[in-house]
Amino acid sequence: METVGFLLDGIFTSLQWFNLALLIFGCLIGLFVGAMPGLGSVNGVAILIPITFIIPPTAAIIFLAAVYYGAMYGGAISSVMLGIPGASTAVATVFDGRPLAVKGEAMTALTAAAVGSFVGGTVSVILFTLFAPPLAEVALRFNAPETFALMVMAFATFVGLGGDDVPKTIFSILIGLALSTIGLDLITGKPRLIFFNIPGFLHGINFLVLAIGIYGIGEMLWTLEETKGKVQMSKLSVNMNEVGRAFGALKKTIMAMNIGSFLGFFVGILPAAGATPASLMSYGITKQLSKNSKEFGSGVPAGVVAPECANNSASTGSMLPMLTLGIPGSPTTAILLGGMILWGLTPGPLLFTQEPEFVWGLIGSLYIANFFTLVLNIALIPAFLMVLRIPFAILAPVIFVLCVTGGYAPTQSLHDVWLMLLFGFAGYILRKLDYPVAPAVLSIVLGPLAEKALRQSLILSDGSMGIFFDVSEKPIAAVIMYIAIVLLIMPAFGPLYRRFFKKKQTA
Amino acid sequence: MSIIKKLALVVVSLSLVAVSSVSSAKPFSPKKPVELIIPAGQGGGADEIARLVQGVIEKNDYASKPVIPINKSGGSGGEAMTYVKKKAGDEHTLIITLNNVLTTPVNQPELGIDFFNDFTPLARLITDTFLVWIATEGKNTAGVETFDDFIDLARGNGLVMGGTGSMSEDELLLGMMRGQFGFDAKYVPYSGGGAVAKGLVGGESDFTLNNPSEQMGFYQSGDSKALVMMTPERNPAFPEVPSSYELGYPDLEYYMMRAFMAPAGIDAEVEKYYTGLLHTVYHDDEFQTFNIDDGKLMSWLEGFGLKDFLAIEYEKHGEIIKNFN
Repeated sequence: METVGFLLDGIFTSLQWFNLALLIFGCLIGLFVGAMPGLGSVNGVAILIPITFIIPPTAAIIFLAAVYYGAMYGGAISSVMLGIPGASTAVATVFDGRPLAVKGEAMTALTAAAVGSFVGGTVSVILFTLFAPPLAEVALRFNAPETFALMVMAFATFVGLGGDDVPKTIFSILIGLALSTIGLDLITGKPRLIFFNIPGFLHGINFLVLAIGIYGIGEMLWTLEETKGKVQMSKLSVNMNEVGRAFGALKKTIMAMNIGSFLGFFVGILPAAGATPASLMSYGITKQLSKNSKEFGSGVPAGVVAPECANNSASTGSMLPMLTLGIPGSPTTAILLGGMILWGLTPGPLLFTQEPEFVWGLIGSLYIANFFTLVLNIALIPAFLMVLRIPFAILAPVIFVLCVTGGYAPTQSLHDVWLMLLFGFAGYILRKLDYPVAPAVLSIVLGPLAEKALRQSLILSDGSMGIFFDVSEKPIAAVIMYIAIVLLIMPAFGPLYRRFFKKKQTA
Repeated sequence: MSIIKKLALVVVSLSLVAVSSVSSAKPFSPKKPVELIIPAGQGGGADEIARLVQGVIEKNDYASKPVIPINKSGGSGGEAMTYVKKKAGDEHTLIITLNNVLTTPVNQPELGIDFFNDFTPLARLITDTFLVWIATEGKNTAGVETFDDFIDLARGNGLVMGGTGSMSEDELLLGMMRGQFGFDAKYVPYSGGGAVAKGLVGGESDFTLNNPSEQMGFYQSGDSKALVMMTPERNPAFPEVPSSYELGYPDLEYYMMRAFMAPAGIDAEVEKYYTGLLHTVYHDDEFQTFNIDDGKLMSWLEGFGLKDFLAIEYEKHGEIIKNFN
């Protein structure tokens, strides 16, 4: 019951007028940076860190966590309304959010995103409150072999992601993996695949550059061609019927909410993963397990809920290794961690006991931030829907400008803008040839994580793959690995099984 | 405050105004935000210092325009150095250093970076120290109490060392120790000092050569302990940890320098302005307290002293790399 007392203290701390004002202000800034392509929670938090030197640490972390949090919600807005991922964490939201908007159900998509985010955020903060210390222990035992097994599991779910055409999906995955190897070799530190010795390749292919190129530019070209520029969007009646319908559609997304919340949280607490992989994995697994998995990608609410639920859940989860182990669970928490050190706090196992006001103030503020972002988002939906009133002839150039700034912002180099345009054309061509592009986007995110974990594991085992299958030495890794293998061969066995079963029936 | 003190204060501030108005005959001050390039990722040691400097400048209005930290972590600093090299003559770009500015030009000659002619060194503010860390309950290092215990153990057994990346400072340091003490270890690279510390406490590695701040949380909680600090003297932040000199290993001395450089080809006025700005930051109370508590050494160096220091370090690192390969 001690926890309840601490938590109530924390909630009261964040309800003090100064903290509450900062919290709401932070949520609004987060919504904005999340919705602006190229500006994500990482940039938002990094830009705001110096401001926090003049306020107490507890207020500072409440403010920055609210920015982080708001950005998770905000990313969905441009994913749905413009078809450009507002932040890397919202890339998976484009997969179904955009088609929903084009079908005239933007309202449903935005509601699903807001509610999904709220559920994911709330479930994870409850998990955080109840199980933080034992979960920190799990994160501590989750090392290179376990991480690689998890990555294999993620890739296994992607094979089913591109629809029935498995060879085309594998091709897309391999393209993504190949692109992810460009840049600095993760282990030896040597440059790899630096084409024409252009220094811009040294930082590798930024995943947002690929995602914005493919979804922003590529899709726009495709839409223009398909519709000859006469894009008809949804009718814009925002009445109670519509609202009711939007909420009604959420009934079918309970499974997505469960997967997103729990998987997101779990991936979030693992060091160095974070909300982007969590949202992509959640989408892949929800699709794989869904009864109507064929409809994913054509605009189903569950396809919006799964990633949105997971990215909020993961962002809360990633605070756990930050606070208890002093290691960032995501790029944004890496900056928060730097901030904590500058505020004179030492993240680590003692933080919970030495700075209870800070830790519980943060946890309490997450409950409050969740509530406020949900209210803000639902209330602002009519305003977001205004975007759809803009004729496509005006909207298209705006999208183009946002794509260019979005491609430039993460690394501040023009090199990436050219790359983004190149990926845009490549995405358009792939789309015309009916290749799925989502698996490529997923692999460029997870590729480096998987490669690093694989090579670390193989150094530890002197090159033996046995390290991933040894149930007695590395039980967690082995179990995940076996599940991954089953997931990988399941799509192949499905049709075989059905054929076999049918034959028996006819025989 | 007594009247005399007040008067003295007035006199001092008046004379400061006078001095600044004299020197402002042809002053430089930034006309737009200053880019501070960080040749490493977000959340690391260099990033932390860069953002601290930014915060101190912003909070106290030390500069007329803001300083904007930008991480260019590609190619072990290669991306950042190439960027700054191209900015020759630019008056609104700075770079903070890790030791990788000394090693990357040697390791990656294809980048064509000339350390001595492509940059204008401004000042060194801090040197960070290195320690040998083991987990308090490490299963392979049970019974190790002193650095000598550790060497004996490491000579006989292939221990696993967690580090921050290939050819990074700690792997070079391992190379140095290999030569001095005749042991080798399996080097597993992680992404950043925090992950290295976690790998140690999580039982994946047996020892690390982390900077103080990277291991501080686990040190304070008692989950990991330090055997030696590679400095001539003990550090007040780690009072019970012996220095390598007192253990009789004066060759085991290694530091990470946190210095600032500008691109080549800037005016002397500009150089003077930024050195002065850094000097103000260096003497800021908050900056001092933060770094001392963190076990870092405050070590201001500028001008010819700095140039000599860099030349010696550059040569030393060239030697370390040669022996390493």
